[in-house]
Amino acid sequence: MGIPYFPGCTLSTNAKNYDRSARAVAKTLGLELEELPEWQCCGATFPLMLDDSMALIAPTRILYQAQQAGERVTTLCSICFNVLRRSQALLERDEEMLDRINWFTEQDYEGNVYVAHFLELLRDDLGWEEGPAPLAKHVKRPLTGLKAAPYYGCLLLRPYDEIGLDDPENPRILHDLLRALGAEPVDFPYNVECCGSYLMVKDPEVPETLSQEIVTSAGEHGADVVVTVCPLCQFNLDYPQRESAGTRTGSRIPVVYFTQLMAVALGLPEETWGFEDHYVDPKRLFAE
Amino acid sequence: MALGNKALAVRTDLSFGDIIRERSGEDVHSCYYCQKCTAGCPTAFVMDYKPAQLLRMIQLGQRERVLSSTTIWMCIGCEACGTRCPNQIRLAPVMDVLRQMALDEDYAPETAVYSLHRSFLDSIRMWGRMHEVTMLAQFKTLELLKEYPVFFKGLLGDMKLGADLLLNGKLSFIPDRIKGVDEIRALYEEAAATSSREKESEVSG
Ligand code: SF4
Ligand code: SF4
Repeated sequence: MGIPYFPGCTLSTNAKNYDRSARAVAKTLGLELEELPEWQCCGATFPLMLDDSMALIAPTRILYQAQQAGERVTTLCSICFNVLRRSQALLERDEEMLDRINWFTEQDYEGNVYVAHFLELLRDDLGWEEGPAPLAKHVKRPLTGLKAAPYYGCLLLRPYDEIGLDDPENPRILHDLLRALGAEPVDFPYNVECCGSYLMVKDPEVPETLSQEIVTSAGEHGADVVVTVCPLCQFNLDYPQRESAGTRTGSRIPVVYFTQLMAVALGLPEETWGFEDHYVDPKRLFAE
Repeated sequence: MALGNKALAVRTDLSFGDIIRERSGEDVHSCYYCQKCTAGCPTAFVMDYKPAQLLRMIQLGQRERVLSSTTIWMCIGCEACGTRCPNQIRLAPVMDVLRQMALDEDYAPETAVYSLHRSFLDSIRMWGRMHEVTMLAQFKTLELLKEYPVFFKGLLGDMKLGADLLLNGKLSFIPDRIKGVDEIRALYEEAAATSSREKESEVSG
């Protein structure tokens, strides 16, 4: 049986390449992703006001849909992950809220589904170099010599007390993954900085300014490629580089999802890589 | 100078900080202005008052200034401040409460950001899944109604953005309507009605 999977809106529209590469690598690794038969948008923001329960309806419905499918649900988009994991944490500690939402939606969510980021499945179900079925053992085409800058952003890690995936200031999970693929992780000071998120709509200058700092810094630390987990980060870091002024140094650096690098390293066919949808073409890094 | 007679005329409301603490669960009174939040805030450079300044203004009860600041609309909830604050104050929930108060009390919202939040919810209501084309269109319509110059300035950029996305096949045209969409719409309507009823009874009660 596959692992219940919530793709979310962006992976089924704007970031199909993330979805496609993830499904392909998951299958190869024996962690097949099984899309929830019915799902809707998570709402994209976790309700922060204590007296706001309306925004919990959508995530709770998803958790309930996941409950029918199993004990855990996995997702890839950092925004969906943040919303679902925190909603789950809230419902777990606030029984009154759980009852209220259940009453309202006429559903019976028991509050026990574990929301796992796909990265966690790789780390905990497989392991990197050691473990039950280490990822490193599946690598057919090691990314030797590739200097990859892991970029975590904010929503995957913060707030720590509700997410608890990795150290919020000094995370390692993507570093470990890259090492297992044979690449060399590059540290740079902006790796947990925010990309500017949706402020693109208000003033593109905000994400473009932030993006320039982040990408330039990665480049200055020797990165050939920036590796991300979030479709919004991918867009915010890649799009401003459509013109050469994308970084302060003028050199353009491809921004890829970790699953795309995995598809390459696991020796999967090129159509699973999904490199055609990028502003800065990553393909040249992998020319035979 | 920004601080002129206007600053002297600031009215204060000393219950303001307590209300925010109550609704956000964050102890805004314990801030001692170390500026760590400001230093790490990715959007501080477009805020009229920096995060630590806003905290001080909240403590002093400068309600009007806080609720009309651009700061509350520029916070994107990245939680960098909450991760680093020596007093464990998280500004993201504080900003959320302030945005809600600003809307309830008819302070002009930062139109673009507000419209985005709105069109997000509307899009879920209509289609179940978020759909970028509908969203962009709604976002623009809302914006147009509110502020013409911003609309035209923003539109050009967005059209370019939209065209680039289309060329790359990143936008899909047919919203994915899903089973249960009527149910979702009904839930949102009911939830909105319930919360406005609750608010009325709070006021009258
Ligand atoms: S980091 Fe915390 S204590 Fe320091 S200024 Fe910001 S809110 Fe105040
Ligand atoms: S949560 Fe808001 S105030 Fe805090 S650092 Fe992020 S954008 Fe700035």
